Amino acid sequence: MSPARRGLSILAVDDEPRALADVKRLLETAASVEKVETAGSAKEALVYLSGGRFDALFLDVAMPEIEGMALARLLRRFTDPPAVVFLTGHPDAAVEAFEVQALDFLIKPVTRDRLDAALARVEAHVAGAAAGAPAPAAVNGEPAQGGAGAAAGGPDVVAVDNPQGGGKRLVRLETISFAQANGDYARIVCEDGRFLLRTPLSQLEKDWAATGFARVHRAYLVNLKHAVELRAQLNGTAVLIMRDDTEIPVARRNVAALRRRLHA
Amino acid sequence: VPEAPPPVSAHFVNNVLAAAASYIDEEPETARDVIAELGQFLSFRLTPAESVSLARELDHVGSYVRLEQARFPGRIEASLPSSQGLPAVQVRPASVQAPLADALGRRLREIAGPCAMALRGPSGGARFELELSGPDGGAPDHLQIDAAVHA
Repeated sequence: MSPARRGLSILAVDDEPRALADVKRLLETAASVEKVETAGSAKEALVYLSGGRFDALFLDVAMPEIEGMALARLLRRFTDPPAVVFLTGHPDAAVEAFEVQALDFLIKPVTRDRLDAALARVEAHVAGAAAGAPAPAAVNGEPAQGGAGAAAGGPDVVAVDNPQGGGKRLVRLETISFAQANGDYARIVCEDGRFLLRTPLSQLEKDWAATGFARVHRAYLVNLKHAVELRAQLNGTAVLIMRDDTEIPVARRNVAALRRRLHA
Repeated sequence: VPEAPPPVSAHFVNNVLAAAASYIDEEPETARDVIAELGQFLSFRLTPAESVSLARELDHVGSYVRLEQARFPGRIEASLPSSQGLPAVQVRPASVQAPLADALGRRLREIAGPCAMALRGPSGGARFELELSGPDGGAPDHLQIDAAVHA
C-alpha cells in the first residue's frame, strides 16, 4: 500500500446488535481502518452501498429477510464490489463462503489477531485490485480454495466430505500426516481422523508439492513436517516413521531423493 | 431408550460469546452475567442425565431466553410459567427448550423487529403452548410442546 493511501473503509453488517457493536469497536481501534459504518440488515447495507464506497464488508451469514450469503452473491454483480469477509457464528458456512469468493471467514467472537489478519488481507486485496491482481481467499487465516487446492499462493486447506451430517469439512494441510492412494480416491490421515478425498494421489502430489509433501511410494504422499525418522532397510528401501509412530514404506527409487530433501 | 438431548448449536454459543464480548468495556457486570448464564446453560446440557425435574427444565428455558435477550436487547419480550406449583414429573433434558429454541430462532431469522413470546402451561402433565407474535399485528404462531415425560 502506498504511504499516501487512506485507511480502509469498512461496512459491518449483522442483525445481532451486540455482536455488531463488538466488531465495530474492534474495527474502529484497528490501525489500518479509517471509517466504520454499521448496518443491522442486508437491506440497510444495500442502502449504504448505494451511497458510498467501501473497501470491505464484514458480513454476518444468518440474517432476517436477506441472508449474508445472498448479499455476497448479489455483490458479485457489482462492477467494483467491496471485498467480503464473513463474520459469523456458523462454522459450517465456510465452504459456501468460498463459493461466493469471500476474502476471509471469521468465527464470532473474533480475536484481535485474527481480525488484524483479515484486515491485512483486505489491504492486500485493495492494493492488488489497484494493480489488477486480487489477493487469495482464506479460511481462519490460511489461504484457501475449494477442492483439493493448489500449492503456490493457493490453499492451505482441503475440503473433504464430512462423514457426520453431510456437507464439507475443511482440513488444514499442516494437520495432515499422509495421504494414501485408494483407487481414484485418496484417504487422508490427519489429526482429526481419516477422510476420503475424491482426488487421485497424483493430483494431490502436484497440488501440495510446495507445502512440504513428498511422494515416497506409489501409494503414499507424506507430509515431511510430520516425519520423525528415516529408517533404511536391507533391501534398499526405507521406512519413514511419523509422529504418531505410523510406518510409511519408501520405495527404493524414492530413497535417494528423499535423503537429499531431508539432508539425511 | 430415551433420545439424547439435541446438541448445543455452535452458532448459538458463538453468538452469545460475541454478545458478551461486546459488553465488556461498557457494561462489565452485564458481560459477566451473560458468561455466567452461558455457563449455567452449558452445564445443564453437557451433564449426562436421562431426566430432570420439570422445574429444572423450565430454569433451562429461562436461561436460554435470557441469553437470546442478551444477543438481541429489547427485541424479545418473554413470558414464562412460574416455577411454583409445577407437577412433580421428570422430563427429558431440553425437551421443552429445544423446540422452543427452534421456533424462536426461526421467528427471529425470518422476521425483523421485536417478538413477543409466551410459554403457557403446563397442562395435562407436561404440555405447553408457545405463542410467538411480531410487531405487524398479524396472527401469532402457536406451537404445542409436549415435554418427553420420563417414566
